[in-house]
Amino acid sequence: MIWIVMIATGLINFATRFSMFSGFAPKQLPNWLEDALGFVPIAVLTAIIAPAVLFNETGTITIVDNTRVYAALVAIIVALITRSVLATISTGLIALWTLTYFGL
Amino acid sequence: MPNKTTTSSKDEFWHGVRDELPMMLGVIPFGLVFGVLGISSGLTPLQTILMSSILFGGASQVVFVQLWASNIPALVVGGSVGVVNLRHALYSASMASYLRPLPLWWRVILGYLLTDEAYAISIRRFTNMPPSHNQHFHLLGAGLTLWISWQCATIAGVLAGATIPPEWSLGFAIPLTFIAIVAPSIKSRADLVACITAGTIAIIGQDLPFKSWIVLAAFGGIASGWGVKTLIRRQQTHETGKRS
Repeated sequence: MIWIVMIATGLINFATRFSMFSGFAPKQLPNWLEDALGFVPIAVLTAIIAPAVLFNETGTITIVDNTRVYAALVAIIVALITRSVLATISTGLIALWTLTYFGL
Repeated sequence: MPNKTTTSSKDEFWHGVRDELPMMLGVIPFGLVFGVLGISSGLTPLQTILMSSILFGGASQVVFVQLWASNIPALVVGGSVGVVNLRHALYSASMASYLRPLPLWWRVILGYLLTDEAYAISIRRFTNMPPSHNQHFHLLGAGLTLWISWQCATIAGVLAGATIPPEWSLGFAIPLTFIAIVAPSIKSRADLVACITAGTIAIIGQDLPFKSWIVLAAFGGIASGWGVKTLIRRQQTHETGKRS
């Protein structure tokens, strides 16, 4: 079963990437659709980030007593300043390890 | 076409490879984490490894294994992954004018290789450098570099899975990777609204059945961002209309 779902989603992934130069798509998308598509990366990726940062291991929302929230804030600041994926991931992880090590 | 420069296919290919290399620093830990995550979610090593070439998308794969591990119905898994992957339609549209003249088999291969990281690298070459008949080799080089490292990182993660201590919280590299993409891309009020709306729905919707919060948060974010952008534009055209 998992193989069928995997191949089906793989085909959907491919179709999405191939769609606009497949020859079937119109040369110019309607403006409203292009505008809406522009928000897809932010919306989708934030939806994955928020729970991964705000929920603790037991599955409850924790903000003040959650090292991941502070590590994520550090990462956001680094991302805004450096725009570097490497710098963001490494400082985020180092921040998390440091905070956990000192039991903050 | 006389206004096109001639660059060799080889040069374009290796430029693509070289331009893509800095991205590896984010891609390799992510692939490693995915390999570990696949095994710990109950997938077999073979399923985890082949998913990296069948789906070939970090966010899609992470969402897939998380939903699969929570026994979500297959249709919902497929639908949610599809929504997560929808952003690639945007990349596809922006690449279309450069790739449309190519033969079908080229477009199929480049479509398969079109990921966040390969797009980010090659669109810079297409828009900033003089056009060339061989420029698509740049995307091929960038895409293949990414593909090979993604497969190797997944395999390494599967093999290392049991030996990476959970205290390392390596899984945190996944939200960190997305923070690295999202934070710098927020440039307007509409972007910020889309971000906050999607994040809020994702949190308050956690207990909804079928993990439908993923799809709801995505569409909520898109709709609110689009709404704000449309409102602002309408106000602006109204104001400039008054002035003239």
